[in-house]
Amino acid sequence: MNVLLLYLLFLKATLTSFSGPSSLPMVRNDFVVHRHVLSDRELNIAMVAGRAGPGPNGLYLVSVGYFIDGVPGAIAGALALITPAFLILPMMRWLRRSASHPRLRGAIRAVVLASVGLVLATALPLARDAVTGAVPLGIVVATFLLLSFTMVESAWVMLGAAALGLAVKLGT
Amino acid sequence: MPAPTAHPPTLARLTRVFLRIGNTTFGGGNPTMAALRREFVDREQWLSEEDFALAYSLARVTPGTSVIAFCAASGAKILGVAGAISGVLSETAPSAAAAVLLTWGYERWGTNPFVRAAMAGTAAAVVGIILSSAWILMRPYFTAKIGKAGRNRTLVQAAGATILIAAAFIGAWRFGFTPVPVIGLAVLVGLLWKDDPQ
Repeated sequence: MNVLLLYLLFLKATLTSFSGPSSLPMVRNDFVVHRHVLSDRELNIAMVAGRAGPGPNGLYLVSVGYFIDGVPGAIAGALALITPAFLILPMMRWLRRSASHPRLRGAIRAVVLASVGLVLATALPLARDAVTGAVPLGIVVATFLLLSFTMVESAWVMLGAAALGLAVKLGT
Repeated sequence: MPAPTAHPPTLARLTRVFLRIGNTTFGGGNPTMAALRREFVDREQWLSEEDFALAYSLARVTPGTSVIAFCAASGAKILGVAGAISGVLSETAPSAAAAVLLTWGYERWGTNPFVRAAMAGTAAAVVGIILSSAWILMRPYFTAKIGKAGRNRTLVQAAGATILIAAAFIGAWRFGFTPVPVIGLAVLVGLLWKDDPQ
């Protein structure tokens, strides 16, 4: 896949989202459903790679880019991740007051809420892939509770889930 | 509060702070921005309280990942365009390289049965992570802490939020709507459904 096209598709996803995982529905739609250059399994691995260490949300794009086109793809993902950030420089000049404008706040609130619906719809196919029995279901519930209601780092949760997966394998 | 040290800002010093905080603080954007505030506002005094507040609030309305936009804004306030580039690259490049290494490792050893078993565990954790991010995104619209006078407003907001989330979910899941028209429609709805500051 052409690296420039890859960058532009990633950029479409980052420019229309307001937090790391809300770009996920667009990425899945473009690369898994539409162009078939990525599998749900690889998308899932990319989420692991993006959340296994410190650093900003949205790093999974780098890993998705690597799956599709190696190092150039990873660079395309990283560039698309950082490009929208520079929009804040003109905004600091011109939007000093508009950040609290009721209509702008309303538009952003609606985009965030619609993203939640889209993210939930994206979780379904990934869940079908990953939840194959009682242990994975337990991991889903435990991860949700730990990350929503405690301060535990996602890297520890990921490590614990990997250890559980291994334990199940060794136990059978 | 850390004691002020007040070194004059140089590109090397600024980059060191971004590298140290940006790549060692777990937990996403908010803890990272809080740690950078300690360094920039309290310790080094490179950034005023007002400039921090402006960078923080604008970062939340900038598309993409908030903390990267925050690094661009605070870097620019301290050292201009060079500071912005330093902030964005220091925050992203090392952890992006780590993500590439992990992906490469998976491609190399991904067929090993033990690696596969461990990955099956993390695949389930990812579903939990996605559900938790959805919850964290929607939580503020359901748990606004306001006085008695505002209770009806909170209820109206929660009802509106539920309808929007459900509409987007059903549109995508049942009717196969792609994200762009859903986001576009949401912008139109949001322009009509104003969010008045409390």
